[in-house]
This record gives sequence, C-alpha cells and structure tokens, in this order.
Amino acid sequence: MTTLSTTVLPPLRRTSRRRRLATLALLATATGGALTACSSDDGGDAPAGGDASRAGSVALVGTFALDPGACDGAPSGSYFRMVNSGGTLEEGPYFPNPDSSCSDPSITPIAPGTDGGLVTGGYQPSPDPAFDDQGNAQADGITAPAGFAAIQFGLSTQETDPQTGTEVPAPEILAADGELSGQITAWSASWNSLYFNQGSPKPDGSSPGLTAPVSGTYDEETGRFVLEWASAVVDGPFNGFTGVWHLEGTFTPA
Amino acid sequence: MPDPASRTRPARRGALLAALAIGLGLIAAPVAFAMFDRAPQGATMIADFEPFMTAPRLEGFQNDIATIDAAVREVDASTDPVVVEAREASAGYAPLSEQWPQIHEDMTGLLDDVQANLGNYQAVAALPDFALFPWFFLVPGALITALAGLGLLAPRRRTALVRGGLALLGAGLIAAPVAFQMFDRAPAGGRMMDAFATIQTTENVTRIQGYFATMAAGQGALRLDVVPAVAQRIGPDAAAETLPATTALDAAWIGILGDMTPMIGAMSDNVDSYQAVASLPPFPLFPWFFVAPGVLLLAIAGPGLRGRRPTEEAATRAPSPTPSPADAPAPGLTEGVR
Repeated sequence: MTTLSTTVLPPLRRTSRRRRLATLALLATATGGALTACSSDDGGDAPAGGDASRAGSVALVGTFALDPGACDGAPSGSYFRMVNSGGTLEEGPYFPNPDSSCSDPSITPIAPGTDGGLVTGGYQPSPDPAFDDQGNAQADGITAPAGFAAIQFGLSTQETDPQTGTEVPAPEILAADGELSGQITAWSASWNSLYFNQGSPKPDGSSPGLTAPVSGTYDEETGRFVLEWASAVVDGPFNGFTGVWHLEGTFTPA
Repeated sequence: MPDPASRTRPARRGALLAALAIGLGLIAAPVAFAMFDRAPQGATMIADFEPFMTAPRLEGFQNDIATIDAAVREVDASTDPVVVEAREASAGYAPLSEQWPQIHEDMTGLLDDVQANLGNYQAVAALPDFALFPWFFLVPGALITALAGLGLLAPRRRTALVRGGLALLGAGLIAAPVAFQMFDRAPAGGRMMDAFATIQTTENVTRIQGYFATMAAGQGALRLDVVPAVAQRIGPDAAAETLPATTALDAAWIGILGDMTPMIGAMSDNVDSYQAVASLPPFPLFPWFFVAPGVLLLAIAGPGLRGRRPTEEAATRAPSPTPSPADAPAPGLTEGVR
C-alpha cells in the first residue's frame, strides 16, 4: 500500500507560499479523513481503477464520465447553478440564467465535453486562446460550452489556476464506503474573457463563504457516481456569488 | 573644569533634538498610518480603475445604460397586441421591467458621479505611485535622524554636513509637494474619495451585482422570449421594425457585457482597497505633511544651528585667556558658517 503523501497528495515541490498552504490544508484534511477511516473501516479492497491509498479509502483515477443535464421535472444528470451574493445554498436566490433550457432558469444543464467528463490524476486545460473575440469560452474537454447570459462558459483544470495564478493540484476524488470526498481545487470556469476559480477548497486552501467540500456517492459495482460541491466566487464581478456543482455519471478507471 | 569644546551649546542641542524628533516623526508616520499596507492598496485601486476612467469609456457606459433603457421603455410602452402578449408571457422579463426605473436611476447616478470625478481621478493618478508614499516619509526621516544623531553624538565635527544636510532635506520636503503638484492633486483626490464613499461599499457593489443579474436575465428574456415570440407572429424583419431598440440591445448586448462585467469586477475587487485608502489621513493634508517638517528643518538648520562668526566670537570673548564655558562657541559651529 502506498503512503497517503505519495498517492493522494502532490509532492511538496518548489511552490509558492499559497500552494504550500493549500497543500498543507489538503494534507490536514486528508490526514483527518485517514484517521477517521482507519478507526472505522473494515479495510476493504480497492475497487477496479482505484489506487488503494489507505484502508478503505481509494483515489479514483480515471474519467468521471458525465450524464448530460436534463430538466424533465426535477433536474437530473449534471448541472450547475449560481447562488446570488448574500444567498444560501438551500434557499438561493439563484442567478437566473436566461440561456438555461430548464423551466427553472437557475439550473444550467451541462453536457459532457470531448473528454467525456472530469479526468482525475491529471489536468484538462483550456486551449490557447481560451476565448473567442466575443468572450465565449473555448474549453470543451470536461463539458461542452454552455450558454450563460448570452456568452458560452467552459470548464477546465490546469496546473496554474488562471484566476489566482496559484499552482494547484490535479483533481483527486477519494472513495470510501460508497462515499466520495477529495479536492477539486483546480476546477475553473471561463466566461466573457474572465476566469472564476470554482474549486473546493480554493487555491489558497480556504473554504470561504458558502464553499462546501466535495462529497457524493459511488457504486463500486456499476461505477455510478454523484459528485457535488459548492465554491464561492472570490473577487471579480461575481464576487460573493457561489457556484453549486452537481455532476452525475459513470466512473471509468484509467 | 570641563573643556568647553566638549559641550554642545543648549540652543544647538535643542535644535538638533528637534530635528531628531522630526526625523523620527517622519519615520513613524508610515507605521502609524499603516501606509505600508494601505498605500499599495491605493496603488492597486488606481491601477484597476485606470482602464475605465477615460471620458470615452465612461460615455460608453452611459450609452450602455441608455441602450437598455430604450429597449425596456420600448417593450413596456408598446400597445401592439403581439408585443404585449409576448411581454406578458415572458416570466423572465418581468423583474427587469419592474426594477428598471430604480436600476436606471441608480446606475445613471453612479456613472454621473464617476464622470464628475474623472478629473479628480486623473489628478490622483498623476501623483507618484501610491506604493512609494511610505518611503517618501521614511527615507527623509531616516536621513534627518541620522544627521541629527551625528550632530548630537559628534558635536565637534561635521557641523557643516549636518547643517547643510538638514537644510537640503528641509528644502526637499518643501519642494516635493510643489514638484508633484500635490497642492492641487491631493485635494482633488480628497474630493474623489468623498464622491466614492457611497460607491465603493460592499452594500453598493452587491446591489450593482444584483442589478447586473437582473439586467442579464431580462435581456435574455427579451432576446430569447419576447423578440422570438413577436418574430414568430409577424416575421423577423417586422419584429425588428416593431422593436428597433430591443433589436439594438440584442445586437449590443455582448459588448455591454464586455463593458460592464470588468467594471463591476474592478469595483468589487477594490472595496477593501478603497476602505484602506480612506483610512489614511485626509488627502488635502498630505502636502503639509512634507511642507511643515521642511519649514521646521530650514529653521533649525538656519538660525537654530548657526554659530557665531569668528569676529563675533573674538568680540565676545573675555579678556581672560580662558573663556567661560557659557560664552564659548559651540564646537565646530564656526566651520558651518565659513
């Protein structure tokens, strides 16, 4: 069994102070989780495609292939919504996206991109250039660009977070007893020639405002997963707003 | 009996102590006012606002608001049954219609305030980089302290250097605000800070973010609900003729987003910076923070440290070969007036 620090967390390299803080925060979080897991789990085997990182908790390395969002009644599949500044995760108010295809415009369905979804253990960067001359995002690996107030937004993960300029680790999702956790600090939304870090925890390791950790469920047999988190926008025109992400689909190991 | 040459005349010593106090005061000022933290934030704020603080750009924002206003008025005022039906069928448009009078008033007022302070902003931006401000106190303060300390610790030597140095620094402190036109620019900065006091608040920025959301959602409703519904009934060309202002808004919307989004971002990002700068002493006082110590230094370096000329010394010297200590010229002072 590999150690937590070599499997779950990136090595402490020559990094900025922020990166070190973020890594330390992740280490503390992961260590806490490890202690919890060690005290309660049954030392189950790693599921296919998972790297056993500690007893009962494995890093799922591969592709979290997304089911496209749909709005037949209650939303299903993968979608995103944005809580307005001053709102709550439960009650909103939410930003009504006029380009949403849902009857509830606060829900913006998202569809898988050319990579099929979120890839863990690596990055899915934006192309260069990342925007067209209208400000539409060109990133289409994780999800297909989706309209948001007339402009397409895209999603990417890259080693240097484009909003903060901070080095961030590649997304890591851990499974333990059917529950998902981990970090998705590198998750970045691009829109209108702007970048918005939408990770959890944030690049500096903090969880400001309504930022909520990665959580979800995972079925080892089928690979079906639900992955959720919330991330406050820090700085910029949507400072204080919070993106709420709901990804659903099937995990395919690398 | 103490050697008179080893003593510093009380007046001279007092002058040097006063200079020392001025030096230490200048050193303490940036720390006392937290300038090393606040001044760079001011520099950031000035830099962040720079792209927007031009007459054409501000006029462009007014045009953006006018474009939205024209569209909303057009749709709201229309009595064309097709438009009325489309308008009433669009749930997404209603919030914009209802809130627009307030949004329009607030946004126009905000832009008026900013436009009115364009000159003030430009005056402040023309000052030296805010981040340097603490050093404008610290560096002369350190030099004054060093010179005063030298004068106190080595009274017999380097009097000319002490006097000349203090005089030069005093003149520099007086000249700097004049050279940087601080007597005009600093009060202009004060007026800008006053005008922005109600703009650069978390509450106001949050309200504008909310307005932005309402405008974006409402424009989307016009673009995706109202205009298509009208076009479906009477055709795209007729819809464009019926709703020219709305059609113009749809065409301009991406540009409006490109204008407004970064401006709101700059406002939001600089709420803390504004508060930091507002916590500094009032801008109009800044030139006096240099002039006042400069004048004092000149006074100290002039009359305060001036020694008597040799002839005067000779005249006042007692016939006795041993002058009294009180009458003895301060050691080295004569050097300074040669």
